[in-house]
Amino acid sequence: MTVVKLYANLRKLAGTKELSITGPTIGAVLNQLVRQHPPVGEVILENGGLRQHIVVTLNGQHMIDLETPVTEQDILAIFPPIAGG
Amino acid sequence: MAGWSEKVLDIDLNTQSYKTYPLDMEMARLFIGGRGLGARLLWDLVGPEVDPLSAENVLIFTNGPLTATGYQTSNRFSVTTKSPLTGTILDANSGGFWGMQFKKAGYDVMIIRGRSEQPIWIEIKNSEIMFHDASELWGMRVFALTEKLGQSNNKRNVLCIGPAGENLSRIAAIMNDRERALARGGPGAVMGSKNLKAIVVEGKDRPEINDPERFKFMLYETRKLLAASPLTSQALPEFGTVVLMNIMNNIGALATRNHQQTQFEGAEAISGEELTEKYLVRNASCWACPISCTRISKTDKVEGEGPEFETTWAFGAQCGIDNLPAIIEANALCNDLGLDTISVGSTIACAMELSEKGYLDSDLRFGRADQLAPAVEAMAYRRDIGSDLADGSLRLATKYGHPELSMSAKGLEFPAYDPRGMQGQGLLYATSNRGGCHMRGNMVGPEVLGLPKMIDRFQVQGKSSFVILHQNVSAAIDSLVLCKFTNMGVADEYFARVLSAVTGIQYDTGDMVKVGERVWNLEKLYNLREGFSRKEDTLPSRLLNEAPTDGPSQGWVVQLEPMLKEYYRGRGWDENGVPTPKKLAELELANLS
Repeated sequence: MTVVKLYANLRKLAGTKELSITGPTIGAVLNQLVRQHPPVGEVILENGGLRQHIVVTLNGQHMIDLETPVTEQDILAIFPPIAGG
Repeated sequence: MAGWSEKVLDIDLNTQSYKTYPLDMEMARLFIGGRGLGARLLWDLVGPEVDPLSAENVLIFTNGPLTATGYQTSNRFSVTTKSPLTGTILDANSGGFWGMQFKKAGYDVMIIRGRSEQPIWIEIKNSEIMFHDASELWGMRVFALTEKLGQSNNKRNVLCIGPAGENLSRIAAIMNDRERALARGGPGAVMGSKNLKAIVVEGKDRPEINDPERFKFMLYETRKLLAASPLTSQALPEFGTVVLMNIMNNIGALATRNHQQTQFEGAEAISGEELTEKYLVRNASCWACPISCTRISKTDKVEGEGPEFETTWAFGAQCGIDNLPAIIEANALCNDLGLDTISVGSTIACAMELSEKGYLDSDLRFGRADQLAPAVEAMAYRRDIGSDLADGSLRLATKYGHPELSMSAKGLEFPAYDPRGMQGQGLLYATSNRGGCHMRGNMVGPEVLGLPKMIDRFQVQGKSSFVILHQNVSAAIDSLVLCKFTNMGVADEYFARVLSAVTGIQYDTGDMVKVGERVWNLEKLYNLREGFSRKEDTLPSRLLNEAPTDGPSQGWVVQLEPMLKEYYRGRGWDENGVPTPKKLAELELANLS
């Protein structure tokens, strides 16, 4: 199963920092995540795609294409809109 | 003219006298205020023959036409001087309340010249300027001094130096409103060299606004825009700036152990999430700011503002330390002693690497949280090894034979972002006019957070155009002077409309970017006059030649040379990075070349 790491207010919405989810692509994993934790979906998804300023990385690399395949060894990280400096 | 007070306060500490005179309004039109106006004035006042710690250097405090109008974040102000750390032009800006109070006292600019024979402090109550003996205040720390001089946020505000500035540490800050800082580049040492301990202001005049009805509507619109943005209404208030820790670590761009690695195994323990859950007492804000990103944090030993992201990184990942209470306490200590937290943390990290490699005889070691507070104290008072650390990492590393271990550009220590994982940030550091800095246009927005749009962080070709735009916009915002976080909810062009409503001069977006470009080119001219050249537009060898061996930035070094060539062309400069006569004429700077 792909490891999904959540950050900032997504942790509160999901009630956890980390989950393991099975799915063939990033999009499939995200859909499963949202089914398990609907409040997370309201923050990260819009019209079937990622909302503006949501950052998703796969093993530390930025990902935009939700059709990208994932494996059991992968780590998917999801960040809500954040800023700082 | 509405917005500006049109008045300069010019103080000579040699004679403890002052004069006031009208602000050159043509200069104000071209450079607005803050950083831009300070740079233009410094050009005339401090030439290459002046030692930064001599009486001939000046401190130029500036606000802007929006300051104290009540526009959101219109609390900020600048100090401009020649940096004792880098030798470059320096401006540092700060929030809080002092800048608003200074504007209400009726001045756009305050120039401090000369040197008092005895310690002195200055009290300003509008047109009343008083010089007081500071002999009994000399040696006092910032928190106690601020209270003693009567800090009262909306009535009377204190700006001062701590022991670090008195002891001429080249990384000393000027502090205002207790825990806000004009931090980078050592302005506190310049103030200390003048025997000036504090400047206290009380003002009563709000600036005139040219079109009050239009301005009032813009206040309403801006409030709505900031409330609608998840960045300014949720992310910054809820988690503060430290929320960047985990994402920078995740992508392998979190400088670690003096930039020897790009990921820190203890990042989660020093993250914004951890700070919020375990140490946050409440939020706080600067004057007229609805964002409220300031953290009030508490440990068993201290309670106070911060720490910000860069501070948490500097004492944390950069020193290999995952002990958040120790970081919070080191931050509070720096504020009380008057030190720049980024440079302090990074200089300690440099000393740790020098020690571990046997180049420096000290017991400083990565990961030793117990060493932070003693090291900070030693730096402020120049005790033992602290005397070497007090002047920053480049002087330290050079003294012990390894200047390449200073993680700095032009002598100013970098913030948290390791540019091997962010090519644009590397170009930004190398070309920043005050040295390694993230406040001269930060590429974290487009390269990491997708603000306003995501671009490939490893892309080299074409990156310079983004850097140039960010640098110019940053210089424009610093000249208004507003907080850059406002720009996360309010677009650049809106600031031009606000400036027009306040001053009655019609500015459009192009005018604002042009102001920023003009300021950037003037700062470049200043540094060229000081003897800086193309060879200083560079980065430490580690970032150019040593690729991370693991993590998401594995295999990458900064591809500086091709980006720099493209950057100079994009700026309209020659191949040596010198602005061409054509460019200077276009920016109305031809008379300065």
